[in-house]
Amino acid sequence: MSGTTTSPDKVPAVEVEIDGHKVEVPEGTTLLAAARKAGVRIPTLCSHPAVEPYGACRVCITEIEVRGRKRLVTACNYPVREPLKAFTESDETRQQRRGVLSLMLARWPNVPAVRVLAEKHGAKPPAYRHPLRNEATDACILCGLCVRACSEMAWEDIIAFAGRGAGRRVMMPFGEPSERCTGCGTCAYICPTGAIKVHDEQNRPVDPARIRKYGFRLTQEMTLLDDQQCQMRRVGTAHLVEIMDAYDLLPTHNYKFGKHPDTPKIASHVWKTFVRQNVPDGCWAGCQMSCAKAVEDFVPRTGPYQGQKVLVDGPEYETVAGCGSNIGVFDPHDILEINFYCDTYGIDTISFGTATAFAMECFEAGILDTEKTGGLELRFGNGTAALELLHQMSRGEGFGVIVGQGVAEMKRIFAEKFGGDPAFLRDIGMEVKGLEYSEYVSKESLAQQGGYAMALKGPQHDEAWLIFMDMVNKQLPTFEKKAEALHYFPMWRTWFGLMGLCKLPWNDVEPEDNAKYPEPNKVPGHVEGYINFWAGMTGQEVTIDDIIRMSERVYNFQRVFNLRMGKGTREWDRGPYRAMGPVTVEEYESRAERYDKQLRELVGYDPAGKSTPEKLAALRKYREEQYEGLLDAVYKRRGWTRNGIPTIETLRNLGIDYPWVVEVVRPWLEKEGAA
Amino acid sequence: MTRIELENLEEVGRKHREKLARYEGLLLVCTGTGCVSAGAFSIRDELRALLERHKLQKKWLVVPTGCNGFCAMGPILVVQPAGIFYQKLGPKDLARIVEEHLLGGKPVRSLLHKDAASGEVVPRMADIPFFAKQQLIALRNKGLVDPESIASAISFGTYGALRKALQGMKPAEVLAEVKRSGIRGRGGAGFPTGLKWESCVEAVARTGKPPVVVCNADEGDPGAFMDRSIIETDPHAVLEGMCLGAYAVGAREGFVYIRKEYPLALERLEKAMAEARKHGLLGERILGTHFSFDIRIHRGAGAFVCGESTALMASMEGRVGEPRAKYVHNVESGYQGRPTVLNNVETWANIPVIVGKGGAAFAAIGSGDVSQSPWNGSSGTKVFSLVGNIRNTGLVEVPMGIRLREIIFDIGGGIHGGRKFKAVQTGGPSGGCIPAELLDLEVDFDNLTKAGSMMGSGGMIVMDDRTCMVDVAKYFVDFLKDESCGKCTPCREGLIGVSEMLGRITRGEGTPELLDELERTCRVMASASLCQLGATAPNPVLSTLRYFRDEYLAHIEKRKCPAGVCKELIRYQITKACTGCGVCARQCPQKCITGEKKKLHVIDRKNCIRCGICRDVCKFDAVRVS
Repeated sequence: MSGTTTSPDKVPAVEVEIDGHKVEVPEGTTLLAAARKAGVRIPTLCSHPAVEPYGACRVCITEIEVRGRKRLVTACNYPVREPLKAFTESDETRQQRRGVLSLMLARWPNVPAVRVLAEKHGAKPPAYRHPLRNEATDACILCGLCVRACSEMAWEDIIAFAGRGAGRRVMMPFGEPSERCTGCGTCAYICPTGAIKVHDEQNRPVDPARIRKYGFRLTQEMTLLDDQQCQMRRVGTAHLVEIMDAYDLLPTHNYKFGKHPDTPKIASHVWKTFVRQNVPDGCWAGCQMSCAKAVEDFVPRTGPYQGQKVLVDGPEYETVAGCGSNIGVFDPHDILEINFYCDTYGIDTISFGTATAFAMECFEAGILDTEKTGGLELRFGNGTAALELLHQMSRGEGFGVIVGQGVAEMKRIFAEKFGGDPAFLRDIGMEVKGLEYSEYVSKESLAQQGGYAMALKGPQHDEAWLIFMDMVNKQLPTFEKKAEALHYFPMWRTWFGLMGLCKLPWNDVEPEDNAKYPEPNKVPGHVEGYINFWAGMTGQEVTIDDIIRMSERVYNFQRVFNLRMGKGTREWDRGPYRAMGPVTVEEYESRAERYDKQLRELVGYDPAGKSTPEKLAALRKYREEQYEGLLDAVYKRRGWTRNGIPTIETLRNLGIDYPWVVEVVRPWLEKEGAA
Repeated sequence: MTRIELENLEEVGRKHREKLARYEGLLLVCTGTGCVSAGAFSIRDELRALLERHKLQKKWLVVPTGCNGFCAMGPILVVQPAGIFYQKLGPKDLARIVEEHLLGGKPVRSLLHKDAASGEVVPRMADIPFFAKQQLIALRNKGLVDPESIASAISFGTYGALRKALQGMKPAEVLAEVKRSGIRGRGGAGFPTGLKWESCVEAVARTGKPPVVVCNADEGDPGAFMDRSIIETDPHAVLEGMCLGAYAVGAREGFVYIRKEYPLALERLEKAMAEARKHGLLGERILGTHFSFDIRIHRGAGAFVCGESTALMASMEGRVGEPRAKYVHNVESGYQGRPTVLNNVETWANIPVIVGKGGAAFAAIGSGDVSQSPWNGSSGTKVFSLVGNIRNTGLVEVPMGIRLREIIFDIGGGIHGGRKFKAVQTGGPSGGCIPAELLDLEVDFDNLTKAGSMMGSGGMIVMDDRTCMVDVAKYFVDFLKDESCGKCTPCREGLIGVSEMLGRITRGEGTPELLDELERTCRVMASASLCQLGATAPNPVLSTLRYFRDEYLAHIEKRKCPAGVCKELIRYQITKACTGCGVCARQCPQKCITGEKKKLHVIDRKNCIRCGICRDVCKFDAVRVS
């Protein structure tokens, strides 16, 4: 998540002088890093920025002077804690460095990593023949990078050093292939000599080296940056809870509000205490984001597993928000229990959360009562009732049967059977195209309103998540900009679906220098990686436009499919008003200052002396008009008609103007007079 | 006796003394590892059986003690109160001791100690030169206390210093006494213990992390057994020292890292800890005060490098025992990133005396004047294990500053078989060899370092003139080559290279260039290694090059081994002194010595494997090496 980088505590600066170049570094910086900052390169063999320094090869040995006393240290792991001078080319430094390189050369005379350094620094092979002399060019030089990569990057400890002294070697336990090793390849990527090799018999990529290069870059970022940017590896997606609350985006009480005083009870530090599996849990081999989390030995208090120890797979952010704040539940145990039973019963936690939130609001609004719910007190915060509802759903009993049909059906049933006001139900029923909303409040981001409601599969956030770009960073000020984002990002993310890739490594953990690029939201550094991934895999050189076009064909085809299923026109791209703005007086008044200001500044309506219903109506009129404007702009950008139908020309441009496709759109186009 | 509190500690000791006073005397049987392997347990059991048979069990009490120290003479029995010293006992000797000495009142003369120099019998232990020149602090209770009885320990004053501290001293005052004593770490590097503890206190204040105290009992030097013997002899002294250290730095948790190869020490330590815990001298509310502290044991698997502090802590944390850089010290961030005080067994055993009698009394012993700075000298005593070609093999404790000559000749009794002293190797495998010219060296931390060796943990291996110094250097280098963890290049590759080069020299394949390369490699190892194992590993080579360069040159230039050790460079020859006794011919494994009875024998050089057995067995010194 961009913009959430935590700033480290202020540490005092220390001035160091390296070969005469003065530079200031934070206390604790390694001498190697300080030298780099000063523009001085110190040779290394066993050091790599992605793993902890180890101090094994000793090639970076450097003479320093601290408080008038000279000594030799290894730059890679020497922490600068007081002013010092370093001499990377003094006689002493050079002599020791040469000596170390000469010892390596004696054993591994042909390894390029060793030879190049030895030649550069004038090291000669010694006057004796090393008993373990190894002529191979890809010999293991015992630098230990692979061991550290396995432990620190992959969070495994599958390979390690075995033996002592001359017998030291890298191996898996007992020298046998380990079942735990997923073949993620991190050890091979980091190996400076090629001693560890990857044999890909299954995928047969055209250019494995090219894929590896970018794959390793991603892996490194995960190791180095995740802790500061996201904590995906430590907490998982649930790290978002407090961030969303801080930006008034955490859905609370069926999306009425975006924050809650009890949020700290379900924030990431709480989940850290539950998630005890300190092992990588990724979706596929080699993913070092490993955001999947699990809670062990959880004991449910209800249902068929009551009192037994179970494993809860999660919780994800969407589950915490959907089955927590959105239904007013701030008890982490209840959230975990709902999480567990949803998984056990095969029910989606987002749909369950959003549907239950809707039922709860209807209960509190008086549309439902305990008679109608079969005794369930469906008030916000009643975790026990939510759990009972869930068990009923699984058994096909009681009120669970009604809620289990989803928000779209509930709206109909509550109006027809329980006398609910259809307009009110439409406003607060958080679904589009029959699918329940995902767990973000989209009221203050017009682009996100579109991102949700226009998504082909229904209001799911994986097509476009534009809230920060639009609402926080104000990067999409015009309809055109918003339309461009609603073209690019859904197409880009569709491509992940086509490739079978996960979206999270693309823009949750971002390159350190991402902000310096003109369009940081697209994460250009990673886009470059994906382009190389495609090329390395297929041998076909592509541009980002080619990638977008690949998706566009599929995306338009899906739109046509929607159309055939009766849900592909403009009316199906509109969300409930709760997704666009305050529905109730209570909602408006909770953020009156914000809405009054918008009325004054954006709508040109003076809220002074007006009643809340009057102000609500004025704001609503404005926001609904804005949304229609957005639809027009996006349709235009996508090459669709005002009713949201892909034109024949669009289909032709994309090369999908097959007769049986054209056959679906033509009647709609004719109706609009656009054919 | 259940929980011991501040008030009744003395009483427990007094009661134990009163109990012993009811006996006519005590029979102190040494059950240190050396004597045990020589049969001390059967001596103990047989003695008890004999007492019973003679209905003497109410009059005489058999007390198994830890190491007496005079290992060369084991098994050992000391009869108290007179302090009569019996040596090299077998079970059959005991009946005479019981009948003639205990019942008859006359010590058994033939079983008493005979002074090697004068040939005179010395009945009383205190009169034996081996003991006379020693000064005991760490080993204050050796040969007296029963290591398996806390009451026995208390009767000798153990835990008295802890009581004193908990009764009337603030932690800072305990620390001040240790600083005043000037004691430097007995584990090898000689870092002042008081400064170490002080840094720990500062680190705790700065980081707020709970500190840990650790006892390093991973003694791994060949020929060294100081720490093992201290634990086997007086485990409560070590526990008391650790309690005092914990009190001074504010630790609640302590560890003893001890190698599994020390089964007897481990057993006695575990027993001592269990007893201490039972009586409230370890655990919650020690001696009934608010001070709580407990100790856990970590068993090492016997890697030499795990004696290195950072490797030891890695091993304690369950990781591979290899060192890390010490740019951040253990007192700041050691075990589990907590401020950690690590001292070795001997250091801990000294602490109770320092706190009990005051740091100044300790500082008065030893070399230099440590009143201004602990770096100005070496205060107190040092325990050495004296081994090699020396007559009185054993464990000795002497004041710092004593001359090497006094240790080797006065206490150690000189070289076996009247041969010439050649060198003494101190400081463990990565120490150095000190030649005869330096026999008057005053032994302390700094003098040993200046002489190219080091104190180390206190091993002393004495070598006679039949020792080849190149071969010795190769022996230690090979030991270190196998024990290097292999993490850093200079240590791993350097030791392989140095071993290879020394091998070539001992085979007569050396060249002057190779000698240069050898020295160059040693310098890189000394300067560029990650830990002290690698940095000191060249010491055996550098010190022998410094004092015995001629021997290296003889190997290289003349292709000769002056000491007659290096097999590729020597030939055995029988001289005219041969009486034709035939012993060598019978013992020769190659059966390549022939000769008629009472006539000169001849060695068939083609089949000779130069094992040297003929030379060793010849009583007439007729076998010569050339």
